[in-house]
Amino acid sequence: MSEVIQVRNLCKSFGALDVLKGITCTIQEREVVCVIGPSGSGKSTFLRCLNLLEDVTSGEVVVLGQPLTDQRTDINAIRREVGMVFQRFHLFPHLTVLANIMLAPRKVRQQDKAAAEQHALLLLDKVGLRDKSNAYPHQLSGGQQQRVAIARALAMQPKVLLFDEPTSALDPEMVGEVLDVMRALAREGMTMVVVTHEMGFAREVGDRVLFIDQGVIVAEGPPETFFAQPENERLRAFLSKVL
Amino acid sequence: MVDNIRWDALAEWWPQFLQGAVTTVEITVVAVVCGTLLGLFAGLGRLARHPLVRLVPNLYVTFMRGTPLFVQILLMHYAVMPALFGSNSAIVNGIIALSLNAGAYIAEIVRAGIQSIDPGQREAGRSLGLTQAQTMRHIILPQAFRRMLPPLGNEAIMLLKDSSLCAAIALPEITYYAKAMQGSTYLVWESFLSVALLYLVLTILCERLVRLLERRYGTV
Amino acid sequence: MKKRTKRLVAGWVVAGLCMTALGCGTSETTGGTSGPTYTVGTDASYAPFESMKGDQIEGFDIDVLNATAEAGGFQVTYKNTSWEGIFLALNNGERDLVASAVTITAERQKTFDFSAPYFEATQMIVAKQGAGFRSIQDLKGKKIAVQISTTGDTVVSEAFGKDNANIKRFESMPLALLELKNGNVDAAVGDNGVVLEYVKNNGQGSFETVVDTSFAKESYGFVVKKGNAELLDKINAGLKKIKENGKLAEINKKYGFQN
Repeated sequence: MSEVIQVRNLCKSFGALDVLKGITCTIQEREVVCVIGPSGSGKSTFLRCLNLLEDVTSGEVVVLGQPLTDQRTDINAIRREVGMVFQRFHLFPHLTVLANIMLAPRKVRQQDKAAAEQHALLLLDKVGLRDKSNAYPHQLSGGQQQRVAIARALAMQPKVLLFDEPTSALDPEMVGEVLDVMRALAREGMTMVVVTHEMGFAREVGDRVLFIDQGVIVAEGPPETFFAQPENERLRAFLSKVL
Repeated sequence: MVDNIRWDALAEWWPQFLQGAVTTVEITVVAVVCGTLLGLFAGLGRLARHPLVRLVPNLYVTFMRGTPLFVQILLMHYAVMPALFGSNSAIVNGIIALSLNAGAYIAEIVRAGIQSIDPGQREAGRSLGLTQAQTMRHIILPQAFRRMLPPLGNEAIMLLKDSSLCAAIALPEITYYAKAMQGSTYLVWESFLSVALLYLVLTILCERLVRLLERRYGTV
Repeated sequence: MKKRTKRLVAGWVVAGLCMTALGCGTSETTGGTSGPTYTVGTDASYAPFESMKGDQIEGFDIDVLNATAEAGGFQVTYKNTSWEGIFLALNNGERDLVASAVTITAERQKTFDFSAPYFEATQMIVAKQGAGFRSIQDLKGKKIAVQISTTGDTVVSEAFGKDNANIKRFESMPLALLELKNGNVDAAVGDNGVVLEYVKNNGQGSFETVVDTSFAKESYGFVVKKGNAELLDKINAGLKKIKENGKLAEINKKYGFQN
């Protein structure tokens, strides 16, 4: 299996504030890596560095063989292959659900309207929302919006999907429907990096769990051992608070 | 006092006032359209990342907002246009001055509108692989435009009234004819009050139109 | 800002404003040496009759009125007043008299009282060199600039129609003449005194002037509110004196007028 993402000694500062202080890790193809940690730990910043929504202060990030920090790298080309799902969905409010999903494939991959529409409807089927294809985002519940957001990201047929706390903004009764979609994606072999507070999901679906605290990876491992035998005190303390 | 109104004088000059009204509406419409196009480019220019790209729009906006419109009109008609193009008409110069002025204020409306859009929208667009230009065109601008409608409507109404300053360069709009009537008849109430009312009717109509547009294309 | 700093700044601001207020002694233009003082309205954008030099007003009308006041036993203070509002100011008492190259016309005499004439003028057509206009009729179909509600405006309106689109009316003669200079109109029509002064200062060779023989001879008079016999008598008494003792002729010579 190839390495989809390689991160070497990634450091990120916002002005005088050092948020990431040297992160090194790799993401393999078809892996589901869950990233957990206290708020302010830098886990979202880490994720956003993977598609250069945050630029890198120092260190290396190589995505699908392309170094992100190289000036010559076409960042748009990389983002076509790396999808992202946001905590607050960020659906385009002025477009219908269908149009939301079709926009990027049509404009970026130059797909024609009919093909894009067909593909979009298939994706809506997959997330269980075909009947909402002509609705506007504000007419959907939070859970439905997030599922549309996943479909939108999938429309570009990415090689990797990044999830930034996808269920944190949802009411508890809607969390399940989104996790179900993510679980199905994992089963199909999608490479996923998920920043989350949902420990159940991490334990069930994750291949590997990373614990980031104060800008460094403090612990990592497969979920079976990670949760049952926390390898250090900080992880133990964190888990005791959230589990 | 009402019986002292010189209705005969009014009747004589009324066709001129109406003609002036047509001209006023014409130059306002053209100035709004041109000003919006100018403002769009200037507003986007002010948001550019490269400081050199920002320089020209910044200078333009600062100058046009920092000098009186009246002075700009006189400058344009008596100095700038003759120097550049030789002879020309008051209407063209008036429209140019009004458009340039409007463009600067609209640039600020555009900039504020764009900046009011949640940055997450831009991030979502870019994360899908859309370029900055595509994100602006398909995601940001359509949303920003709806928010810009109320202040744009205001600007249009202000332009309608400010067009009266063009009387100084003998542009035959409403105020020009009012002054001609006053100069010829010495009747101040009949001339100035009646054109004031004429402007009022026009601005109220304009406001109605803007409200209609806001309702149709209003904020999402 | 600390309280002490605030007070310091406030103190300087007040001091600065006071000094500015004191320094702003409006150096007014005055005339005459004894007797009651009257306020004169004049639109000082009409050289050589009245124009601004620094913050003083000077010109033919100023010289004549000053001499008249001296001879008539009164004093005058001049206030620059925009032409468009000058008669309104006279009517509502803001000005006691108007000295602004005002032509005596039957229409105006309905609403105001004029002194005896003190200057003879005619309307003059001015155009770019080579235009070849000989009379007002030659201007038919041409674009003409005039000053609003002057006798030039009247002459042109009567010849071609008040609502003729080719007539462009400006607030002041300089703006009308500027329009000619920029080539936006074919001709301008105004009082000969003003037009000649303009041509003299703006390239004698580039303009040509013509007086249409049909243009009536016009006279300038000083204007007072209708019924103000007291002031009018004083003015006329003074004018009579300076006509008789050659002072008026002297002033005409100074400005190069053959009156």
